[in-house]
Amino acid sequence: MFGWLEKNPFFFAVGVFVVIAFAGLIEIIPDFAQASRPLVGTKPYSVLELAGRQVYIKDSCNACHSQLIRPFKSETDRYGMYSLTGEYAYDRPFLWGSKRTGPDLHRVGNYRTSDWHANHMWDPTSVVPGSIMPAYKHMFTNVTDLETAFAEALTVKKVFNVPYDKDIDGDGKIDVVLGDSPADFEAAKQRALQEALVIAKETKREDLVNMVKEGKIPEIVALIAYLNRLK
Amino acid sequence: MNWLNDNVNQLALLGAAAILILTIAISAKYFKDIKEGKSEGELKDENWDGIGEYKNNSPIGWSLAFIGTIIWGIWYWLAGYPLNAYSQIGEYNEEVAAHNARFESKWANPTKEDLLGMGEGVYLVQCSPCHGIDATGIEGKAQDLTKRLLKKSVLAVIEEGSAALGDKEMDGQGKFGYSMGEMPPGLVSGADAEAVAEYVANGFKGNERGAEVYANACASCHGPDGRGMDGMSPNLREYDDKIIEAVLEHGKQSVIGTMPSFKGMLTKVQERAVAAYIRSLSE
Repeated sequence: MFGWLEKNPFFFAVGVFVVIAFAGLIEIIPDFAQASRPLVGTKPYSVLELAGRQVYIKDSCNACHSQLIRPFKSETDRYGMYSLTGEYAYDRPFLWGSKRTGPDLHRVGNYRTSDWHANHMWDPTSVVPGSIMPAYKHMFTNVTDLETAFAEALTVKKVFNVPYDKDIDGDGKIDVVLGDSPADFEAAKQRALQEALVIAKETKREDLVNMVKEGKIPEIVALIAYLNRLK
Repeated sequence: MNWLNDNVNQLALLGAAAILILTIAISAKYFKDIKEGKSEGELKDENWDGIGEYKNNSPIGWSLAFIGTIIWGIWYWLAGYPLNAYSQIGEYNEEVAAHNARFESKWANPTKEDLLGMGEGVYLVQCSPCHGIDATGIEGKAQDLTKRLLKKSVLAVIEEGSAALGDKEMDGQGKFGYSMGEMPPGLVSGADAEAVAEYVANGFKGNERGAEVYANACASCHGPDGRGMDGMSPNLREYDDKIIEAVLEHGKQSVIGTMPSFKGMLTKVQERAVAAYIRSLSE
């Protein structure tokens, strides 16, 4: 039936292209659908939250925790409202995860508090008896890399037009302030320090508060900022 | 040989035997073909440097199935799954509606044992990560639910006032969780506050001066017995349904820490069940 194709390399190549392009289209076209656009009101991550996201990635939280709640009653009972595509619009890369050794974290900000996270990351079994999660005490002394987080935010603002310095929810105020050039880093750092101080105080740990007051943000504070943001 | 009694193991063994026999039989057939088989059939017209190919058309049944699958695929794409027949969220909504209907009819009139059992389950899943499995608040990290109030909590509320579990940001209706509304700060102070805090934290006994201060300053809103006058203001004696529901809906900020709101996470029956379970802890 297609024996003639084998004698005509050009048409054979065209055929191969059509087959591969078709398969590609099926994967690519849904990305342009309305459902894939940022959910109305979704805000990009602040510099501190991005730094926390980097800690989350660095310590491989996503190896044991997913961030995707499927639309099943058994999941929404435990973790809250099912996830929507548009909620991940500013996640680069997304951290859906593929294995739940621990619970899903996509809406953990709704039902856990800063002090709980601090207690839990310091000694998981102190709040969850029987937990197999390791302690992450190094996060309480390691200092967050704000420069990289700021560079990442600036990059996605310029390259992907992520709406930093814009009024997203229409209340007349700029929602996530960032700046336009590397020279704005100092101002961004001061903002991050302010955010971090609030969280450090919420954890009720003197050592964290003191570190932030010295101008150093412990990784745990950035991570908590990120986790509190997951709603 | 206990494991042979298990029907899954029996099936697995049977399957393994079948696979082994089929493998041997089929390999034997092909070995025989290789040894004895002769090529026969009609050659195609094409000939590549002396190498020919037999005409070997696809079986009709296979061809029909192939074409049928393509047609079904087109139908499925255009009329079946993605455009109008199915939605994952729709299925989720149906699943939840069916579950809720079953849940409501099953627990329409729960007995006290039902509520305690359900309450314990909900408590262990939703509350125990902060309040602890034994509900004592994990060494002061959260409210100790085996007692109604700590002295320091009472003192903090006297000093700072309380929004009566309402949302200060909200306007008009629903501003406060309790109809008495906001409690002003500083109603009593100094030694009087200490005394009344000790009296309330101790379960309304043991401090005569505290009892006196309570009767003068607190009883007009919280009731002479401290039970909150039938839901007009917070019950200071025990965790009643109203205070559990209000805290679950609004969350709570206190001197101990911040509890997030669990609005929409639990059904009414589950909230009552948690309240019943928490009450049972201090009895």
